[in-house]
Amino acid sequence: MVFAARAVKKPSKKSSLLSNLAWAGPFLVLLGGCTPSPPATPRDLHQADSAYVVPWEQFEVYLKAAPSPVQVALWLREEKVGFYRDPLHDPTLAGRYSGLQGAANLGIYLTDMAYAHATKQYQPAYEYLTAVNRLASRYSLEDIFSPERIKALDALQDRPDSVQRLMAQYYGEIQERLTETGQQAMLRHMILGGWLESLHLTLQILEREPQKSSLSDVVLLQKSLVPLLLKLYAADTAHSEASRRIFGHLSALQATLETLPIQESQARPQTTVSQNRIQIEFGQKVKLTPDKIQEVRSQLLPLRNFIIQT
Amino acid sequence: MSRLLGLIFLASLPPLFAQQRCKGLIPACRDAYMGDLNWDGRYWRAELFGSETTEIYYTFFRGLKYRLIPCGRSSTQATPHLRIYNANRVLLLDTRTQGEKPFWDLELSNTQLLIIEVYYPSGHGCVALLIGHGPSEIAQAQD
Repeated sequence: MVFAARAVKKPSKKSSLLSNLAWAGPFLVLLGGCTPSPPATPRDLHQADSAYVVPWEQFEVYLKAAPSPVQVALWLREEKVGFYRDPLHDPTLAGRYSGLQGAANLGIYLTDMAYAHATKQYQPAYEYLTAVNRLASRYSLEDIFSPERIKALDALQDRPDSVQRLMAQYYGEIQERLTETGQQAMLRHMILGGWLESLHLTLQILEREPQKSSLSDVVLLQKSLVPLLLKLYAADTAHSEASRRIFGHLSALQATLETLPIQESQARPQTTVSQNRIQIEFGQKVKLTPDKIQEVRSQLLPLRNFIIQT
Repeated sequence: MSRLLGLIFLASLPPLFAQQRCKGLIPACRDAYMGDLNWDGRYWRAELFGSETTEIYYTFFRGLKYRLIPCGRSSTQATPHLRIYNANRVLLLDTRTQGEKPFWDLELSNTQLLIIEVYYPSGHGCVALLIGHGPSEIAQAQD
């Protein structure tokens, strides 16, 4: 399994030592705290990453919080939503992106691919897979979406739980590879892209299928992730113009999301424990009117345009 | 020079053993408690000292059953416990109030981002958390 351990403790030198030891070896740590160079990655990635002065150790806990694009897409599938091509990104533009912008667009294409696949639109899914492969090769990730693996996924297309498991695994592998190779700035952008596109798609579907009110749960979930994204980008707004702009867009979006009318059917979540089974009932629901959907979309659009502009 | 290297080697052994010990938690807990649930191979691990805790942010989906397996034993033989919070940091459960259990099965009425804090009530040592998932028993019963 590709996933490696990652201590997610609140900032602590001890946990950092522990995670370093896993791959650096004790001698290197003791000899002046030197760590070996990460495996070779394209030169431009290091240049791009060097623009970011971020203590990643403090933020890695947030990088794994968001659901994978596949999880969101399968949720949409559970709700039996239709497939709409118009709101999706243009897969033919994949070749124009690189560096950090490419990583954000990789997150967008992964989400579009997962959505197309989850709604059984295999031809568009293949087009997005091509876009994903094109971008993934820039980050030495192409083996994760190899033809053999895609064949395995296709064979399981009528077993959503199996597809979910495999795709979640592949997405996790991407996260781990980017972390291990010191490309956390890329990972951050990829997660942003996936989150952004999931929210964009959900809002678009809600506009077309307003009777699917349970989709508002997706919006509530995406709303709960905004503070984490803000923390990820607040870390380097003083050093990076891109982070400053993304932070500004996210702040405006958060302000709008805070105005969503939340209906509380109970004062607070109810937790029931029996033996070792825990059930938690959440009474929160959000009622999204067309006006509110439009308002959130209008705040989301500038961020999406900033990321997909060529 | 060789003495210096020897000293460095000896000094490096305790953390190396600690690391190996921490690594060993994962397969042991998986084999003992994961059962037939799905596991995507992800786990979280930390070495806790004093009253330190380790946090995990994780999105849990409605319609799935999750198994939370906290692994490890502290220097005082305490077992690890979990505090489960919602995204707004409202405490939903501290498993210490529910006695000692090797794992906890969790189901939610709505998909949510939760924060899970893993801690030892006393002592220090390695701790790990594995999260497996499978079909919801509640949903199956309703079907």
